[in-house]
Amino acid sequence: MSAVTATIAEDKMDARTKPATPNEGARLGFRLTLPAQILVLFISAFPLLMQLYISVTDWSPLSGVGWWNAWEMWNSFANYTDLAADTRFWSALQRTAIVMLVCVPAEFLLGLALATLFADDFPGKRIFYSILLMPMMVVPAVAGYMFFMLFQSGGPVNDILSRIVGTPVTIAWLSDPNLALIAVMIADIWQWTPLMFLILLAGLVGVPEDQMKAATLLGANAWQRFTTIVLPKMKTIIIIALAIRVIENFKIFDTLYIMTGGGPGVATETISVYIYKVTTQDLIWGYVAAIALAILIVLSIVAVYAMKRMAKSRELPA
Amino acid sequence: MADIIFRNVTKRYGATLAVDDASFTVNDNEFFCFFGPPLSGKSTILRLVLGLEVPDQGEILIGGKPVNAVSPAERNVAMVFQNLALFPHMSARDNVRFPLVERKVAEAEIEKRLADVAAKLHIGHILHKPPAQLSGGERQRVAIARALVRDPAAYLMDDPISALDARLREETRVELKRIQRELGKTLIYVTHDQEEAMSVADRMAILENGRIRQIGAPAEIYDRPASAYVARMLGSPMMNILPSVRSADGLEAAEGAIRIADAKAPAGAIEIGLRPEDLKVRPWTDNEMTDGSKGRPARVFEVEPLGGYTVVTIEAGQARVRALLRGQPDIRPDAMVAISCEPGRVHYFGQDGGAL
Amino acid sequence: MSAIHLQNLVKKFGDFTALKTMDLEIADGEFMALLGPSGCGKSTTMNMIAGMEEPTSGKILFGERDMAGMPMGRRGVGFVFQNYAIFTHMTVRQNLAYGPKMRGAAKAEIDRRVGAIAEMLQLSPLLDRKADRLSVNILQRVAIGRSAIMEPAIFLLDEPLSNVDAAFRAVMRTELKQLQRQFRQTMVYVTHDQLEAMTMADRIAVMDHGVLQQVGTPLEVYNNPVNVFVARFIGAPGMNLLKGKPAESDRGLVVDLGPLGVTPPLPDELASAVRAARGDVLYGFRPEQVALTERGLSMPVSFVERIGARTIVHLGQGESAVKAVFENDIGLSVGQTAVVAPPASSVRVFDAATGLAVKAG
Repeated sequence: MSAVTATIAEDKMDARTKPATPNEGARLGFRLTLPAQILVLFISAFPLLMQLYISVTDWSPLSGVGWWNAWEMWNSFANYTDLAADTRFWSALQRTAIVMLVCVPAEFLLGLALATLFADDFPGKRIFYSILLMPMMVVPAVAGYMFFMLFQSGGPVNDILSRIVGTPVTIAWLSDPNLALIAVMIADIWQWTPLMFLILLAGLVGVPEDQMKAATLLGANAWQRFTTIVLPKMKTIIIIALAIRVIENFKIFDTLYIMTGGGPGVATETISVYIYKVTTQDLIWGYVAAIALAILIVLSIVAVYAMKRMAKSRELPA
Repeated sequence: MADIIFRNVTKRYGATLAVDDASFTVNDNEFFCFFGPPLSGKSTILRLVLGLEVPDQGEILIGGKPVNAVSPAERNVAMVFQNLALFPHMSARDNVRFPLVERKVAEAEIEKRLADVAAKLHIGHILHKPPAQLSGGERQRVAIARALVRDPAAYLMDDPISALDARLREETRVELKRIQRELGKTLIYVTHDQEEAMSVADRMAILENGRIRQIGAPAEIYDRPASAYVARMLGSPMMNILPSVRSADGLEAAEGAIRIADAKAPAGAIEIGLRPEDLKVRPWTDNEMTDGSKGRPARVFEVEPLGGYTVVTIEAGQARVRALLRGQPDIRPDAMVAISCEPGRVHYFGQDGGAL
Repeated sequence: MSAIHLQNLVKKFGDFTALKTMDLEIADGEFMALLGPSGCGKSTTMNMIAGMEEPTSGKILFGERDMAGMPMGRRGVGFVFQNYAIFTHMTVRQNLAYGPKMRGAAKAEIDRRVGAIAEMLQLSPLLDRKADRLSVNILQRVAIGRSAIMEPAIFLLDEPLSNVDAAFRAVMRTELKQLQRQFRQTMVYVTHDQLEAMTMADRIAVMDHGVLQQVGTPLEVYNNPVNVFVARFIGAPGMNLLKGKPAESDRGLVVDLGPLGVTPPLPDELASAVRAARGDVLYGFRPEQVALTERGLSMPVSFVERIGARTIVHLGQGESAVKAVFENDIGLSVGQTAVVAPPASSVRVFDAATGLAVKAG
């Protein structure tokens, strides 16, 4: 039938991407943003190169030479080999991974649950919305102090637990090596779930309503709609949200450091804390540069993946 | 002079050929229509005239001057977009004034042109409202006013009324034609509605996959299509195109169900085209068709009463043929009928689909 | 299979009454078109039948069953949206299979049904394409198939062809009709295009501003419109209506068309009703029934539209504008004067004050 062949032919043409803007426009755009490009390059590339440079030396601020002469203290990748053998580094990395694997999924699930609640209207929605966003507004250091107080042996958390359980509860949250990490994770979840909530709510609202209606009319119940329509349509936003949180959570520092200082012992020493200690206490900046660079590479892989996903999503309409 | 000339213009998007060696002339003051199915290159041609795209090959001339390298702003051509693109935060009045304000035209002149255009499009009473408060038809007219107010060399409109209700479309197209006549400017109009195109165009071009298949006045293209493709493009219901063979006294098609006496097919003709309104349908009386020749009866498959006309779908041999009859004749489904046609109204097509 | 009965249906959105007391019976297996301009309440009515909106008052019955409170997933209706609402993150196959899958059908069963529907709608070569890359024409077929595969007793279509290009519309109209004939579902079709309604429907319900104006077969609403709105809305172009005063004359009751300077006779059977009504009337006749005559309305030609098979001639201006449809060989051009008149049998008379048709006896 000619109608069908015509429509299949049209369909092939539909698959072409949008035409490029005239070359003149692109060149002008490049020229206009050149100052900004140079600035960003300077801010990001220069420190990076500096780091790379120092990481292959034994330099430290106490070595008596300026950093530009660090080549004098060349140690031919000894920093990197040391890093591989540094057990404290690896256990810090492991702890960081544990924190990430607990916090990020928890934040995600809580954020998703809250977002679905907020998708429809209910009385007092605006007020709850503001309350929900407050943890994110708190300065991380202040949050650290807050949870430090909350988790004291005689503090409010134990008090509430005592009332619930009936008997006095005196868990030594922050001084028990097994529990300190949990306390820190709770603090992180409290502070960053709102961010997940916001991002996921935006994604949720972007799910086309008429497709939801169509699904309902075809017999899908709420759960089926959620799994077959809502989640797939939120795929890109979910990946972006997870990527953002994975990268940020990996670098967890402020709140944690104020709560526990990395302790007791090294019980809550994450990678950021470790780097901080090595930098400020041991002052071996060359080594620190090597660590930082290694972490950067790992996180870059996550970021590139997320960016690829975002670029792909721009071709797909809702 | 604001004539627009394309000479052998080709435009590609990647591997796809959007416009293929197009050449045409739009005369000054002409209402010129580009018509074709979706993705046949109509919108691309508009973009080329506007300057949003640059041709890969060929030349574009406006007012006799080559404009390939001239930016859209300098070409002095105004466009009404399909989605109107009205500024939602401004009133209709400010929307219409916008192009002139941008170009720093004197206030007195702006007011004069605004009043002029508002009168022509009957929007004077709604100018104070923002687009959100206007109906679809009103928004349409404001968008057109915004293009008209600039007094450019030519206007371009890309399917401006397809989003309106059917009734409103019929009225608005007459209005657009009147406005163009009054303003006396060249207007290039793109549409996929063949009735609309035939109604408004002084001349039109039929497109297929980026190629121009025929250019001419609508009546000319309708009466003398250059190919089977063009013949099918205009006319609703579509022209019936069937293989035909010579018979003793003329032509025969659809296994004898259609007989046309005294018809002389030119050499090389393998198909005939019969417009639905040219088909004569009479109830079958045994053994004889109304013009005396012997034929075969055909069964009526469907009758669609449109009030002033009736579309009758008839099973003639293996094919289904549609006839457009005036008024409300008493024909029922499953009735047996005789089909004929005047020999002068038959169109002939050759092997390649071209008209003969 | 299901007949639909709408009883005293009213729908208000806050202060705005979208639908005012609608009573309509749609027979089992009937193709009913809800026809009217934007904002007339046709989509609102359809949404209530589907269960997407609850009526403010009134009842909706499918056969004998009252649908009040029945959620939209359980009404057994198929629904095709104006912009298809295709699941763009799924393939064509997955779209078609969605309904049966949600109801827990077995895989083999689903495959079979998908295959059959795809075959019928000529979607077989496209089954594994992702739905976000397809042209609107194909999307429309997928939308129909997705609902049709559930074999619903009632099929609702909300202006499904308004986004489709004009040429393809004609093709789809035929296909939809064939589909309905084949499955004999009760089909309710919302449109603003009277041609679509006339071509496809068994009966048409004409609506305006939330009020049902007339229900009847295409020819019924064309030949005997009950009021001025229906007279103008049906037909391409709509009926010509000229204001005039009934007057007595030696030819019987005539209507004085004032500035047009003619006094055509009114049909005998309407004379007594017109006399009784006593007010001004609207003298109506269809453009397709007008012929060139020696005596009649003499008017200058203001515009000529040659549209393929026919030519629409615009005569006169403003209040006394008249349109006539002729064959293409009419040879009239702008500025000429034409004398036209309708045949007596096609004249329809309406009360100028109420807009209602004047009926005999």
